[in-house]
Amino acid sequence: MFELFTNMVKEEWRVHSTMFGSLSFALFPVMIFAIAFMGSFLIPLIQSTLPAGNLTLIVHGTYLMLGIMVGGFGLLGNEVMNRRFGQASLLAYSSRSLPLSEKFIFANFVIKDTVYYFFLWVLPFGLGYVLASPYIGVPPGDALLLLLTLTLSFLFGLCGVFFLSAVYIRSRPALLLILVALCAGVAGLVLMTGVNPVLLFPPLLLTSAFSWANFLISCGVLALLFGIAILLFNPEPVGSEKRFKDSFAPLMRRFSFLPNPPLATKDSLDLYRSGSLVGQTIFSFLLPLAVIWFFLSLLGPFLPPHGLLFLVAVTTGVIGSTMYTWVTMFDSFGPYGCLPVAVSTLIASKLTTFAILQVIPAAFIAVVALLSGEAACLFPAVVLGICISFYAAGIMAWLCGLSPNVLVYDVKVLFVFLILVGIVLAIFTAIAFANPYFAFSAVILVIPTWLMIRRAKVRWDSVDPGGF
Amino acid sequence: MEVVLETKDLTKNYGEVIAVSKVSLRVEKSALFGLLGPNGSGKTTMIKMLTGQTSLTGGSATVLGIDVTRDPIGVRRQVGIIPEQETPPSFLTAIEYLKFVAAVRNIPDIETKADWWFDFLDFADKKNVLCKDLSRGTRQKLMFTQAFIHEPALALIDEPLINFDPIMQDVVKDYLSGYVRKGRTIFISTHILEVAEEICSGFAILHKGKLLHTGPVAELTGRNEHLPSFFLSLVRKDRNV
Repeated sequence: MFELFTNMVKEEWRVHSTMFGSLSFALFPVMIFAIAFMGSFLIPLIQSTLPAGNLTLIVHGTYLMLGIMVGGFGLLGNEVMNRRFGQASLLAYSSRSLPLSEKFIFANFVIKDTVYYFFLWVLPFGLGYVLASPYIGVPPGDALLLLLTLTLSFLFGLCGVFFLSAVYIRSRPALLLILVALCAGVAGLVLMTGVNPVLLFPPLLLTSAFSWANFLISCGVLALLFGIAILLFNPEPVGSEKRFKDSFAPLMRRFSFLPNPPLATKDSLDLYRSGSLVGQTIFSFLLPLAVIWFFLSLLGPFLPPHGLLFLVAVTTGVIGSTMYTWVTMFDSFGPYGCLPVAVSTLIASKLTTFAILQVIPAAFIAVVALLSGEAACLFPAVVLGICISFYAAGIMAWLCGLSPNVLVYDVKVLFVFLILVGIVLAIFTAIAFANPYFAFSAVILVIPTWLMIRRAKVRWDSVDPGGF
Repeated sequence: MEVVLETKDLTKNYGEVIAVSKVSLRVEKSALFGLLGPNGSGKTTMIKMLTGQTSLTGGSATVLGIDVTRDPIGVRRQVGIIPEQETPPSFLTAIEYLKFVAAVRNIPDIETKADWWFDFLDFADKKNVLCKDLSRGTRQKLMFTQAFIHEPALALIDEPLINFDPIMQDVVKDYLSGYVRKGRTIFISTHILEVAEEICSGFAILHKGKLLHTGPVAELTGRNEHLPSFFLSLVRKDRNV
């Protein structure tokens, strides 16, 4: 039965490596390793302003967020292949003709994805730190322990959201109940003991004092969350037919003010009917941002006034830009090949739908501003976050066209993306830190964004549209 | 006779692989033209090039007088296309997909036209079902409908009868024959030779991307020869070469 897993791993490798070459794909973790290795040398500098404990919290929070962002497997259900790779018949789909249960196939698919994320993101980053540790005065044992706890943080995010998303698909009231119970439990604990709940996060407990009992309990909790999520997976029976009342014409009339109403209508129906609009918003946007907001709030005392709000706004902008991947994940160019529609028109329509979705990050930043008593900085923070989101999405469109979910693993693409977005983030975060109202200057990003989109259209019109 | 589709030395390479090599063809108005060839002979690539879905490595092609390299969208605006794999968007229902196509193509009175097609191809009971939940046969019906609903002057169809049951195959064959009698043209690619012999007026045989033969079906009938045996002898000869 291990064959299914190993063949799924091979298949995943080939899907990506045929898109942009084995070398480019293989270099992806090397680049993550290099970034972590070089970044580790900044730690002594950062420690001069930020206590080591806070830095540990932030790094664990980041890994938890990464796990949360990729853990929404419960949302995929049995659309898993169609939604990721168009009409391609991959193992997760074709294995249904084998004497294997769908839960077993799905479990293999999730484990394969987890292993992939681990080797592409988690391990290279951790190894970079481990190998740099002798040069920055960190004992190798501590570095290895950090690698272990960061892995656990990632897995807690992944398994936690896998569990929650599986509950969400089965019963939305049940999810609400669990979330309310969790919040009430944490609040009760804080009120009764006065302990910062973050410190009870198992990977952090292990960082401060490793014990085999805590480690085994952590592994047990992860296995439990994963097992329940798999048990909750309930594939639709083959041959089931979902019916909907015709909503296309009325919705298109509402979207008549947009540049390409039929395409925007189709994208909206895709998002809504797939359950992605609500599911992705909760599990790929609100949850990770809530976690990062919480962890960033620990940096509050070390940031300039209003700094936390603008840091959240910038982070929201970056995560908000990933909404471009939400709108491009439903279809390849294939279905449009028989219609008079150019790739550039599709890119424009996807960006239009993306623009509509930007209401969500804008609302999130506004809520953060209000809840943190920074209403005066609400507008500059929203402008900064949304401008960054559009800018990053423009770069994504230029670099990846209609396939950001796949091409992100091309090392050249990721490198250029990180450089172009990283520089802008650094500049505008510094500007906003200097004076909150300077954040309005982010509107200047409209120019490079417009140029990127224009170049994206020309570039991807001249390339044969791929199957994926 | 008016030429609606013409290629000159049409070539497509994928890296080292030559998918189509210097194919020159002419298809006249009102023809039901069959592009025949074994699997992997380049038929689908030909249709993709003729409809501007993939670029040309060499040569030229005009469809309804439009250069496919210069104006691929213009070509797709004028023609109807059924791709090899039926792929209507997953989360639209059948009727919504037709409305989507109508909106993109500016087709008026879509409700009436769609209803006619739902009845004609016998899938009215599926009009509100999501495309992802449709059977292969019903998806093929939907793709057939989208290709003909604007009554194009030329339709290019990759394997027109695949996934249809025998009754529906009969309905579709009759429709295609009637369509060309109205002065329109159909270009099909298939490897079902009996069907090609039954409905096509002209044909071309592709093998390993090369054009082995092109001409009217009547030419074979006049020689008391059948298309399947002619095809097999030609392909086998080329294979031995």
